[in-house]
Amino acid sequence: MTQSFNAQGLGLNRRELLIAAGGIAAASLSGPAFAQAAKRGGTLRMSNGGDPPDFDVIQSATYLTQMACAPCYSTLLRIDPTDYSKLLPDLASKFEVSSDGKTVTFTLREGVQFHNGAILTSDDVVYSLDRIRKPPTGLVSPRKGLLGNIVSVEAADAKTVVVKLAQPQPDFPFLVSNPFNVIYCKAVAAPLDASGQGMKRTVVGTGPFKLSQAIDGQLYEYVRFDKYFGEAPYLEKIQSFPIKDEIARAVALQGKNIDACFFFANESVLTMLRKTPGITQLRRPTPTFVNLIPNIRLKPFDDPRVREALSLAIDRDSFIKTVGPLSGAFFHSLGLLLPDSPHSLTADEMKSFPGYDTIPGLGGNLAANREKAIALLAQAGVPKDFKIVMPTRADIPAFRDASINIAAQLKTVGLDVAVDVRDAGTFYELENHGQFQLIAHSVAVSGALPDQIFGEGYTSFGGRNYGGWKDDSIDDLFRQQSREIDPAKRNELLRQFQLAFLKTNYQINLAWVGYAAAYANNVKGWNALPDLYANMQQDKVWLDG
Amino acid sequence: MIVYIAQRLLAGLGTLLGVSIIVFILVRALPGDAAVMMTGAGGGVVSEQELQQVRAKLGLDQPWVIQFADWSERIAVLDLGTSLRTGNAVSADIERRLPYTMEIVVLSMVIAIGLGIPSGVFSAWFAGGAVDRVLQTVSMIGLAAPSFWIGLLLILGLVVLFGWSAPLFWEPFWVSPLKSLSQLIWPSLSVGLRQTALISRMTRAIMLEVLDEDYIRTARAKGVPEFGVVFRHGLKNGMLPVVTLIGFEIAALFGGLIITETIFSVPGLGQYVVSSILNRDYPAIQGVVLLLAGIVVVGNLSVDLLYGVLDPRTRRGRAVA
Repeated sequence: MTQSFNAQGLGLNRRELLIAAGGIAAASLSGPAFAQAAKRGGTLRMSNGGDPPDFDVIQSATYLTQMACAPCYSTLLRIDPTDYSKLLPDLASKFEVSSDGKTVTFTLREGVQFHNGAILTSDDVVYSLDRIRKPPTGLVSPRKGLLGNIVSVEAADAKTVVVKLAQPQPDFPFLVSNPFNVIYCKAVAAPLDASGQGMKRTVVGTGPFKLSQAIDGQLYEYVRFDKYFGEAPYLEKIQSFPIKDEIARAVALQGKNIDACFFFANESVLTMLRKTPGITQLRRPTPTFVNLIPNIRLKPFDDPRVREALSLAIDRDSFIKTVGPLSGAFFHSLGLLLPDSPHSLTADEMKSFPGYDTIPGLGGNLAANREKAIALLAQAGVPKDFKIVMPTRADIPAFRDASINIAAQLKTVGLDVAVDVRDAGTFYELENHGQFQLIAHSVAVSGALPDQIFGEGYTSFGGRNYGGWKDDSIDDLFRQQSREIDPAKRNELLRQFQLAFLKTNYQINLAWVGYAAAYANNVKGWNALPDLYANMQQDKVWLDG
Repeated sequence: MIVYIAQRLLAGLGTLLGVSIIVFILVRALPGDAAVMMTGAGGGVVSEQELQQVRAKLGLDQPWVIQFADWSERIAVLDLGTSLRTGNAVSADIERRLPYTMEIVVLSMVIAIGLGIPSGVFSAWFAGGAVDRVLQTVSMIGLAAPSFWIGLLLILGLVVLFGWSAPLFWEPFWVSPLKSLSQLIWPSLSVGLRQTALISRMTRAIMLEVLDEDYIRTARAKGVPEFGVVFRHGLKNGMLPVVTLIGFEIAALFGGLIITETIFSVPGLGQYVVSSILNRDYPAIQGVVLLLAGIVVVGNLSVDLLYGVLDPRTRRGRAVA
């Protein structure tokens, strides 16, 4: 028995997908609604940061490339711009999940054109998905782990793509539709990939806008793609200006030189913009967390008592009050998922972990925590004024200011912590070679689903295991929850995973980062989702006057 | 003269070779990995095996000697290589960014020469008087204040008083000369004020010496008007050290606009250098440094040749030698 999803103009939410994978029920779907009558035409002028390093969004690990490319590309399915928990059809008009949950069949829309006039076929999809999970020699794929459950991707015919999975995976439709997992034109990408150049300077997608100009340091301009397969975008043109400095972006917005900035971190910028009439500004948690990461390969951090002492020493409330305004690290969650996740732990569960009771509202006693931390360090044989050097990046406040704050806090339990501020290149060198004792690390994962956050950030095989820990029980729990198709059982497994990980203190969560956005009040149709990367295609955005 | 120029060019080539070797070694000695920065793979999101493949593709896994030989071979045919960051030919990146930097250099030197030389002359002419004191004080402030600080004050003043903000698109000079000049005047001013002070003080010092010379006294005794004495007889003979200074400053400015371009967000060579260094973009760093070294070599040679034009004695000296 298979479950079929005819998703013409419809949306599937995550719960419905969970049910679907088990072949239980059909989904009831509805299209996005926009209350106000949208107007066509106009140019949206925006700036989301500096220059994208390149345009190869599949190879990229930065939001700068993703945001620069999002208007030009499409994914198989698409996160609903009005509801983060739903998927809409994009290049695939429908998909079917087999009764065993291990085969997913995507049916592509008819007549989808790339910007170069080529027609989309299943070969393009197969090539793109294979490029993500098995990058050609000389190319990289930061998100191959997201599609690590795929056994094979095959073109059944010109419009049908069959994906075989190693085990059922309820999150799979969301993972394959991650905004970074765009579909390239094989005829364009394959020769460039073979030459080693990749799609770094070439943008040929099926998205609502075509890149018409790219002047490094100056301007990225997009024009409406008249043959876009979906509803025609409202805007005629988008101009994106690479303004690296946040204050400069805010001044440009205040001075009406740009209409929107969909990415800010610094709170003082928002404070400044709050005083400016005619500008909407907001902040949303995004899948970026700041963790304190001990290097488990080194003594004394291999000792669980030392790691517990580190967690006990930290006042999480004071952390967000001081580091938050500088870096956007304003949020706490109950557990290891985004704040307000349906899989959050209870307050009682959370405050049972050493140090986490200093999260606001959990009624912790910081002085008692620190006394206990001092005792634990003594038991572990850590001498008073034990010297620790924390390398950090100079260019990102969520690293730099977090490290400075943590160093000061750890001094209260008798650790002599010095912050070693480096440029990004030097920092990576130290981190990739495990040449650190302790780091405060902002980890931006590529999506908010449990498989994304845990798979990338909290497994020993995930890309973010900077501390070098190894724990089969944690990894097994991850795999169990990933394949569990019953929502209730999966929720329980997710709870167990979080409880088990928090006990280890392999990584000590400090806060979650929220991105801020600000735009002129005449910019309509954009919705800030709790994921920085979603909803950046700008096809639903329009200008009111 | 031709032999002299050939000798200087040959020496210049030697300088460029030395610079290229030093830069080649220095950028590789920096901690950090070009492959990691190029793939944006900081944070361990890309496997070591993939990074090795990228290094192999770029030739970064080869010994330094082979890498240097490859690079030198390309340089010999004026190919600066491909930027690891932008994916463009380094020469194309430079070609697009150099005009903005050149425009700032030229504008700032026009400001510096236009204000610095007259103020230095007047300062010497009226040495010890009120005009001299005022000009001396102003030039001292100009020398003491770093150009980036002047730039920040300028931005602040422009924003507060006129609601100005840095342009989003910097118009190239050849597309819209007036607009381009109006955009780049502010960074040029912030750099030019310091150069003005430097030139003014140098001019004053030289003019004080020159105005004490016998031939100046003779000119005055012959009844030449004072303006003519100062500007025609004094300034012309005192220009040599000032020209030398201007030559050096022009060459130095090409590499010295990094902070000014950054605070004004000008997409010039300075910003390109900063991004290239931060991203360990070896070909770009090497290409730009080689270009800047070339500008210094050519600048020095130009100053030397200008000496001959301004002072016939130096031409005779070379001929005798």
